[in-house]
Amino acid sequence: MSVKWLRRLKVVPAPIMTKDETSRYTDLQADGTSLMFTYPMEVKSVITRPSHGMTLKGAGLYQISGIAWSGGGTITRVEVTSDGGRTWTAAPLSPPVLPRALTRFRLPWRWDGSASVLKSRATDDTGAVQPERDRFITDHGHNAIFHCNAIQAWGVAANGEVKHVYA
Amino acid sequence: MSTRDLAWAVIAVVAAGCARATVVETPNLGRPATAAQIAGWDISVGPDGVGLPPGSGTAAKGAVVYEQKCQACHGAKGAGQPNDRLVGGQGTLASKTPVRTIGSYWPHATTIFDYTRRAMPYVQPQSLTDDEVYAVTAYLLHLNGIIGDNDEINARTLPTVKMPNRDNFIIMYPARPR
Repeated sequence: MSVKWLRRLKVVPAPIMTKDETSRYTDLQADGTSLMFTYPMEVKSVITRPSHGMTLKGAGLYQISGIAWSGGGTITRVEVTSDGGRTWTAAPLSPPVLPRALTRFRLPWRWDGSASVLKSRATDDTGAVQPERDRFITDHGHNAIFHCNAIQAWGVAANGEVKHVYA
Repeated sequence: MSTRDLAWAVIAVVAAGCARATVVETPNLGRPATAAQIAGWDISVGPDGVGLPPGSGTAAKGAVVYEQKCQACHGAKGAGQPNDRLVGGQGTLASKTPVRTIGSYWPHATTIFDYTRRAMPYVQPQSLTDDEVYAVTAYLLHLNGIIGDNDEINARTLPTVKMPNRDNFIIMYPARPR
């Protein structure tokens, strides 16, 4: 089965258990078990600006912007941190805010020019909260890549370079 | 022309116009699939064995087919390289570097037949006979320590093969995301 190129439809009473739906698109967990038919994507968000590869031109006022989404429902809240998670600020959501749809968030940020770590953390209307990376690995191990909804951290260096970091 | 004949003539003209309009309004692409074409595509095999064709094979016979048709991509005895490893890895799934192969990971033996028949060899898919697919399937099961060298694999026996990782899959659908 390819989930990308639909060539034909065949109605069957139970899963055919093809190669990809069993050996590829299954989520191997830390304990050796695997989750199968995990179609909904969990609540997730990522800051798109600033993000890896960009360079900030000195201290000053910036707009942090990103997108959040959830296969479980509607995004109700996105919080942003610029100090690696010590303090969080709710970022306003830009309409339209629709179920299972990309949802834009924006937050003004005054960068003082020191090394910083930016993260975003989304919550949906089922109460699901995007987990920190360490928590995701504890719960799901290192191989559940198709459903990795861990919080994404961007490191901002004093020279303004933005890079992916684990923090 | 009587009134009645005229009415029929009008109906005929309108109908012809509709027919022409129908042709114009569709892209008129493709043609209905024939029964033979559908049969060629309808080759999926479920875990209960529905769809398996007649034929059979053993690991001993499959070794010959494997060396000729599979080994260049999957390595000697399924060891992998340059493409997917097919053998081993049992006991590694809970480690940080799991090795997922047919033997260590795949939950259903029927999947080997289904995928090999529809997609392998990569450069010439669907060129193997059903007997060759059964034999290669038997060989891969044997290399993984799941069946014996001379165990016959056919439409009746293949669905009864218990794969080592069979019970370690948790079906999520239609569960909510966590």
